[in-house]
Amino acid sequence: MSSQTTAINSGVHAKKADIFCQDEARVDWHSKALWMLREKRDRAAASLPEWEQLRQLGSEMKLHTLTHLGEYLETFEKNCQANGIVVHWAKDGAEHNQIVHSILAKHQVKKLVKSKSMLTEECHLNPYLESKGIGVIDTDLGERIIQLAKQPPSHIVVPAIHLKKEEVGDLFHDKLGTKAGASDPLYLTRAARAHLREQFLSADAAMTGVNMAIADKGAVVVCTNEGNADMGANLPKLQLHSMGIDKIVPDLDSAAVLLRTLARNATGQPVTTYSSFYRGPQTGGEMHVIIVDNGRTDMLQDKILAESLKCIRCGGCLNTCPVYRRSGGFSYNYTIPGPIGIAVGAQADDTHSIPWACTLCGSCSYVCPTKVPLDKIIHHHRRLKAKAGKLPYGKRNYMPLVGNFMASETMLNCSMSVARTALRILPGSLLKPFSGAWGKYRELPVAPKSSFEAWFNKNRGQ
Amino acid sequence: MSSKQSILNALKSVAVAPQAMPSINVSPRLDDVIGQFETNLGTVAGTLHREGGLAALQAKVDELLKEGKQVISQVEGVTGNRNAPDTAHELRDIDFAVIPGDLAVAENGAIWVNNQHLGHRVTPFICENLFLVVSADKVVANMHQAIKQISLESGEFGVFIAGPSKTADIEQALVVGAHGACSLNVYLV
Ligand code: SF4
Repeated sequence: MSSQTTAINSGVHAKKADIFCQDEARVDWHSKALWMLREKRDRAAASLPEWEQLRQLGSEMKLHTLTHLGEYLETFEKNCQANGIVVHWAKDGAEHNQIVHSILAKHQVKKLVKSKSMLTEECHLNPYLESKGIGVIDTDLGERIIQLAKQPPSHIVVPAIHLKKEEVGDLFHDKLGTKAGASDPLYLTRAARAHLREQFLSADAAMTGVNMAIADKGAVVVCTNEGNADMGANLPKLQLHSMGIDKIVPDLDSAAVLLRTLARNATGQPVTTYSSFYRGPQTGGEMHVIIVDNGRTDMLQDKILAESLKCIRCGGCLNTCPVYRRSGGFSYNYTIPGPIGIAVGAQADDTHSIPWACTLCGSCSYVCPTKVPLDKIIHHHRRLKAKAGKLPYGKRNYMPLVGNFMASETMLNCSMSVARTALRILPGSLLKPFSGAWGKYRELPVAPKSSFEAWFNKNRGQ
Repeated sequence: MSSKQSILNALKSVAVAPQAMPSINVSPRLDDVIGQFETNLGTVAGTLHREGGLAALQAKVDELLKEGKQVISQVEGVTGNRNAPDTAHELRDIDFAVIPGDLAVAENGAIWVNNQHLGHRVTPFICENLFLVVSADKVVANMHQAIKQISLESGEFGVFIAGPSKTADIEQALVVGAHGACSLNVYLV
């Protein structure tokens, strides 16, 4: 990724996860909340007999588009222009922000209502516009909460998942004047609704992300549950949409495939409440689309990393990830956390620790609706870091030793037998310090009496 | 070089070999399509009214008018007490909007609404509550079939609406009624 997306608040993953893990009850609660989403996803997926077919179609269709991206982008631009949409191209986040600012400045915009967009987070648009004197209001409830709390999102679909309702209550009391001590989600949501309605009605312009950009129509699709993108885009006369080059799909038929899996995989809903198709500005209005690269073309030069651009940002891989659920979104040094965050953010991670925030269990790849091979990509990142001589401290020192050690059968067999005996006869408290970070939140395993090799030779061997 | 040109140049060398576009051919579930629609609409917190058609809807609207509610109707044959205003912002106090849907999708409870029938694009979002009217013979099985039938002309806006607006951003508690309509009732005609 380009310098625009260098790591935020860097710190080695394990250290930052440690901060989150200090409150054990919160970790359990966080993990459970996300696992609930995973279970809802499983039920939604199981209710469609064609689920695997849709994943396969999603994967092939995205790969087809990515390998013909230049053509599709040009077709998209041409068709947008025919529909009265102004198209801009930005090579990186800085250029994206300048383009947005120049459009807003031309229309003397003082207040912009924004609907959730990971891309504008990636480009750090908000602070940039605020430095230019433009008020930016995030309008997705979760985004508004963290904006008021001055925090970045900790999840790509449920950005305030790390906060408890009491914390939101205190925040709203402070910023929106709700009753002290109130924590009822219905009451708090209604208060936010009233507050944000005023913002929508008084905004000069609206900005949204793009879920899909339809090449042969020259249209963009925006999906929300709250209706904030549409309340925004359809009130003021000026609407802006930012999209990564990877958001292109060839036609309406391909958009339909992704619309069937996106919400099911994100929250278990059959579809988002609103899937809106914009094919031109409202009467007397203006519509702009900004197409952004910001490191994506670089990723396409690597066969394995390229596949991460199949992602449709459903968040499914975060919800299932055992590491994400127990380390929180702020431990990843990137706007996008979890497995997909590692896939697209590891190169910019100056601590070089993020590719190790993964057990390579493969659960993420298994749930992904477009079959992004996340575990393969993360493993590839480890190799890239090793090749570049950028292994994080610790791994750099002992990994080569482990390599030599594993390569020697005698050494391995002999020491494993020592370990088994030690695990059986020595007390856990004596051994635990040797298990390092791994053993901190885990019990040591019960050692088997013999090695697998001995068992195999006895029972299955010739 | 323009940014557009440099992006397009970089895209000339993608590391993955060109892949063919798959043909999208998913068999629809055709048993009891309206029953499926009703169930899924319920899942997304909407309510289906199968009987009574437009007359039932008008009776409901009349009740609301008696209570002093502000009702705008874009459906021929249903009369409210408000006309489409000049500016979208004047819709801010609308309690109920009655809007025609072009078609409905059984697999997920969504209804396609096109801006040719909206007056202002913001109407289905800014109203406190929403009534949608769909013809029973326009209920299709799945999104693949639906997308083949929607018209999205140049300059237009269209939206699949599946239920009232909702959020679960505060501790994952589902709250119906975020920024858009707080309730959705669908009348089959
Ligand atoms: S990588 Fe797959 S599962 Fe993860 S957010 Fe993207 S589409 Fe969803």
